[in-house]
Amino acid sequence: MEIIAKERDRLLHRSARAVGLTGTGICLVSLSVPGTIPLATYIEALPLFAALIIAQVMTGRQLARRWLGVGLLSSFAILLVVALSGSVTAAPALVPLAAVAMGSFALIVRPTIAWMSLLGLIACASILVVNSSETNGARALASAASIAVGWILSALMGHVLHLSIPRASRRIYSIGKAHRAERHASETEAQRRQSARLLHDTVLATLTLLAHSGVGVAPAALQQQAADDARLLRQLRLETSPPPLPSGSYSATTISDTVLGTTLESVKQRFGRIGLEVSWHGTGQVLLPTEVLDAFLLSLAECLENVRRHSGVSQADVTITDDETTVRAMVTDAGVGFNLEGVDEDRLGFRDSVLGRLREVGGNARLFSSEGSGTTVVLEVPK
Amino acid sequence: MNPRVRATEYATTLGTGYLAGGAVVLCTVQAMYGLILFASRWDSYPSPMLGVAAWVIYIATLTGSVVFLSAQGDRAPSWSYGVFLLLLAGVVVLDLGAIWSLGNVGEYATASVSAGFSLLLQLTLRSARQLLAPAVILGVVLLCAIVATTPLTAETVPAQLTTLTFAVLPIAAGVFVLRGFRRVVQHELDRVLVQSTISAPRFAVGMLASEELARLDLAAEELLDSVSTGRESLPLSPATASVAASLATELRLHLIEGRRETWLYHAVTESALLGKSVTLTDRDSLAGLLDVTQRDGLLSAVWLLVSDTGRLATTHTVQLVIGPAASATTERRSGNKMTVPIVITTTGIPRNRVDPATWESIRQVGRYSDSTENSSVRLDIAALVDNPADHAFPVS
Repeated sequence: MEIIAKERDRLLHRSARAVGLTGTGICLVSLSVPGTIPLATYIEALPLFAALIIAQVMTGRQLARRWLGVGLLSSFAILLVVALSGSVTAAPALVPLAAVAMGSFALIVRPTIAWMSLLGLIACASILVVNSSETNGARALASAASIAVGWILSALMGHVLHLSIPRASRRIYSIGKAHRAERHASETEAQRRQSARLLHDTVLATLTLLAHSGVGVAPAALQQQAADDARLLRQLRLETSPPPLPSGSYSATTISDTVLGTTLESVKQRFGRIGLEVSWHGTGQVLLPTEVLDAFLLSLAECLENVRRHSGVSQADVTITDDETTVRAMVTDAGVGFNLEGVDEDRLGFRDSVLGRLREVGGNARLFSSEGSGTTVVLEVPK
Repeated sequence: MNPRVRATEYATTLGTGYLAGGAVVLCTVQAMYGLILFASRWDSYPSPMLGVAAWVIYIATLTGSVVFLSAQGDRAPSWSYGVFLLLLAGVVVLDLGAIWSLGNVGEYATASVSAGFSLLLQLTLRSARQLLAPAVILGVVLLCAIVATTPLTAETVPAQLTTLTFAVLPIAAGVFVLRGFRRVVQHELDRVLVQSTISAPRFAVGMLASEELARLDLAAEELLDSVSTGRESLPLSPATASVAASLATELRLHLIEGRRETWLYHAVTESALLGKSVTLTDRDSLAGLLDVTQRDGLLSAVWLLVSDTGRLATTHTVQLVIGPAASATTERRSGNKMTVPIVITTTGIPRNRVDPATWESIRQVGRYSDSTENSSVRLDIAALVDNPADHAFPVS
């Protein structure tokens, strides 16, 4: 059974328990008033009340049907015992039992014709039993109406609850579907923001400078840098909802060429600040989809970082070329180089942060080097 | 928006429109019952016109409220509730006035009992307190009238008690049911919203963190912008500098740590129900390796364990411990699978109170064995998952 259907049934059972116990309690209090019924009858009825109360309590705890039977039987037995005692004052005291305590069981019954007719029969029988010793016609009518309305209201309430839960459930389901879409979107968005690592690197560098109040940096330079970074962040923010794309075309239009230009520039500046002079050659205006651009630039930055750390020289050349299908960057240094067989590619972070990243977007990287004659890396990404 | 907040907002209105419609039907049935009683005693009334006036006002109030509330819906202003209560008070006064000299309030009261019942019309629109206060006042008024007019004998007491019950019980039961209904809806909503985590990648940022990252990016953008335009003059004031420092720190944390959490972590933290009673220990983030079916099973099982008991006391807790992963050598299967051990320990959940559907859900996760520990259930599950080491470099 669906979880919500089970919870609904539990709710109905708990409600039946609460309402039923109230009815039983009122009836018990009424019968306890001395003189309502003979003491012997009262004592006879007490065990039946105990059985009824147990049945009602258990009804609230379990979904099993047997407590319904126990409850109805014991309450009907109370009616018989008390009504047959011949007391003329007993009938009004039995109304809360017949109307509320017994009627409350209608809450937990499925609204099928079979069940409804069975409960209708029980209700009619209880009306007859309660009124068996009633002599006042108006009172008999009042009792009958009370008992009938108790059952009817109970059954209606159960029915309304029974139907309203699936309705709510359908709406919940559609909210859930919207939420799932939202979660995917937010996940993609977060991935996009997080994988814009290069951008965040430069932003963090600038923020760190600002955290020291910008002391030690020329104000004009810092302002320029802040303007560049703010523009990049704005770009990142505005890309959130890319325009619908015609099928088969790249989302290249969302990246304006100035972005690549400024991003390349910021890569260059960043390495300039930490002591590596990068000379750019070739085109500075390439249109690339976001994730490809990210992978491309991050790999490029990684290669430059390798140059800075391992090559022993403070200059590198980057040549960017493109043809119909591919954008290529060639990172060259005239440093110490290394023997490709001797050095594990993993150690340079090459395989992970360059090759893996490029292959994710359908690109590739090749490494050329030998000891004493510098290193050249060729990065390729599809357009 | 925080999903938990949103769940609460939805849950207060979801599906209650239908309940309100049901209340109209109930009130109509009850009013007919009251009218029948009133008519059957017509001859006993010393001044039936007062009773007629009470009933006319009552029916007018009922009809007027139904029309007004169906037009206004949730936006019904609170003064309308005041007017509604005033009219009902008038009904009670007229009804009691009509039967005062009869000396048996319990036997003859009709419209005033219906007045208590008609509070159900406002059930979905007013708070429990706003609904119960008039009911209690009605009960007290009836009680006072009974004490003042009716000689209490074995013959009259039952009718008085019955009348009091019929006047006050319906709205009390209504409040009880509505509260339960909202809780059911709330839980289901919570469950469905959390269910969306099962299709998340191995590591997910989570909705809260994602919004947080966007917020940080925006804050950084604004700060940089104000520096570049010269609104913040260089060198920066210490206050602005410290803003920049904390922004940088937060941003760094989010960039590094945001992706370390699994779907299960997000499910537990985003859920109002699970968050309260589930503690998750998953050092190696192995939950992320479970496939969609396993995740669904695990989440449902935990859900059933926590929500199975009627009362959601904090004494029912579930501890989820995932890992450490067993070495794959003992569990060589076709392909490269590894076993992730999942241990669920509970407190306050005896074996016989566990929903049978729980076992079905657990079976989706993997082979399991259950035992009893400190009179509560303990489950040991061995979930077979793809070994992530084989997928580290999907392209070669």
